[in-house]
Amino acid sequence: MQIRSPGVWACVALAVAAVLFALLATNPYHASLVVWILTNAVLAAALRFVLQIGELNIATAAFFGVGAYTTSICAVLLGWPFWLTLLLAPLVAALLSALFGWVTLRTKGPYFLLVSFAFTEVVRLIYTQINVIGGNSGLVGMFPPMAIDAHYPAFAAALLAAALFALYGVERSDLGRLFKAIRNNDAIPRSVGLNVVFLKVLCVVIAAAAVGLAGGLHAYANNVIAPSDFSYFVAILALAYVKIGGEGHPMGPVVGAAVLTLVGQRVAGISAWENIFYGAVIVVALLAFPGGLIGLAGRVRGLVRGGAR
Amino acid sequence: MNGEASTVTGGEVILRAERLERRFGGLTAVSDFSFELRAGEILGLIGPNGAGKSTTFNLISGFIRPSGGRLVVMGRDVTGASATTISRMGLVRTFQHDSLLSEMSVVDNILVGASHRQRGHEKRMEKVREVAAMTGLADHLDTIAGNLPHGLQRMLSIAIALAAEPRILCLDEPLTGLQGAEVGAALDLFERLRTAHGLTILLVEHNMRAVMRACDRLIVLNYGRLLAEGSPEEVSRNEAVIEAYLGRKR
Ligand SMILES: Nc1ncnc2c1ncn2[C@@H]1O[C@H](COP(=O)(O)OP(=O)(O)OP(=O)(O)O)[C@@H](O)[C@H]1O
Ligand SMILES: [Mg+2]
Repeated sequence: MQIRSPGVWACVALAVAAVLFALLATNPYHASLVVWILTNAVLAAALRFVLQIGELNIATAAFFGVGAYTTSICAVLLGWPFWLTLLLAPLVAALLSALFGWVTLRTKGPYFLLVSFAFTEVVRLIYTQINVIGGNSGLVGMFPPMAIDAHYPAFAAALLAAALFALYGVERSDLGRLFKAIRNNDAIPRSVGLNVVFLKVLCVVIAAAAVGLAGGLHAYANNVIAPSDFSYFVAILALAYVKIGGEGHPMGPVVGAAVLTLVGQRVAGISAWENIFYGAVIVVALLAFPGGLIGLAGRVRGLVRGGAR
Repeated sequence: MNGEASTVTGGEVILRAERLERRFGGLTAVSDFSFELRAGEILGLIGPNGAGKSTTFNLISGFIRPSGGRLVVMGRDVTGASATTISRMGLVRTFQHDSLLSEMSVVDNILVGASHRQRGHEKRMEKVREVAAMTGLADHLDTIAGNLPHGLQRMLSIAIALAAEPRILCLDEPLTGLQGAEVGAALDLFERLRTAHGLTILLVEHNMRAVMRACDRLIVLNYGRLLAEGSPEEVSRNEAVIEAYLGRKR
């Protein structure tokens, strides 16, 4: 497979710039903002990844939480080494998502959406009921090792960017075509010997590994996690990023996450208004430009070109 | 494989349906239907609208399970086996409706067809080019399938199936809506698939002239039951068939 379009190089340049910014920013708030944006971008990209097979996976939020809790439990309660705790986050999230997918992806229709919602809330409630992992208040004290600590935002940004490129690489591969084929008309892949249930599970597992890693990185970035960080609302926000940025383009989730995260910083704190604000932005954006910001940019470019002729 | 076995009676039995039955609620779409497909032949499955032809396709390709009866493909009992399993054994079917990936390009459609058999992107692309050349799609590789002219859409659904390298190819009304010259080209393709590639073909088709020309043998379904069986000449002279099927058409 060859990915050598100028657009991809622009994205590589952008990722390098983001990592350098996180490395060199003098204000630690700015550095952590880069990590926050990229974390949201991975959540949105993973949600969009599963949309390829035509399923809205609310459990994106759950697997993000599973990654964060896996890392935190291994780090704080078990005292395992940093690298191992980070490696386990995507692995445990992937394993759990495989079980989840195997059970839920056999049927068509709205079941998956509903079950993924219920699953997310059940997992969150389970966290609150277990005292060793802090119940409602969660876990505190996940710190990166000294050698990395000073540059942790750049480190996390690099891994998150790598996760985004990995998702994009799969989307562009033959496997990505099979995912799209399932959404378009799943009878065709079945008729030529493909195991559609397996492929759907694989799609969910790949996305879960990406958000699992993001969860693990989030735990070290935040130093504290709580069950309420991983409610279904995380997935709703991710959906907003996808829709605002543009579902049709791989950069859509990144653009949407960047714009909404930055705007969100302005309204943060006035918490009752925050959700109303997000809701209003989403509704207005979807009505005004259904292709998202990227679709809007494409149309503007088309208009400019058309006018020049 | 069985290229030489193209006599009217064909070679060994490659598919055997024994007393197949399928009910949908109170409706029995197929009942007590037994037939054999022999290696290297082109067998026509005909019958009036709603006779149960597509249901039979769904049964033998594993897309739905029979309510009764048995299905043996290449000596193996595959009654109740999944579509994936049966396709991997070499029985690949096309669809009467929604027969392609309408939002994807012609390349991607055929690539999906080749995905299971061919390992690696390069091998798959080789297969895509080979099959596209055979089906007259070589100049349309980047077109979105849903935007193809109707005749080429029918060819594309066959191309998808061929990319999976079937031994048994089941075509559900592949000629519907084709123009005169296109029908001839499609029939030539079927003949070439049988002689040069050793395929066995089960053909459901309403175009009687084409069926008479292409098929070695015909079986006739009516209200889900076998009505007649024999050479195209025999069947076209059969009183019951004329009454049930040809009569209705005229
Ligand atoms: N999934 C289903 N549920 C209920 N009834 C069905 C289903 N599929 C087919 N039928 C019924 O079974 C009967 C046989 O349908 P089938 O599609 O097999 O006919 P056909 O011979 O392919 O007809 P045509 O020539 O019009 O394509 C019809 O009465 C049809 O309505
Ligand atoms: Mg039919």
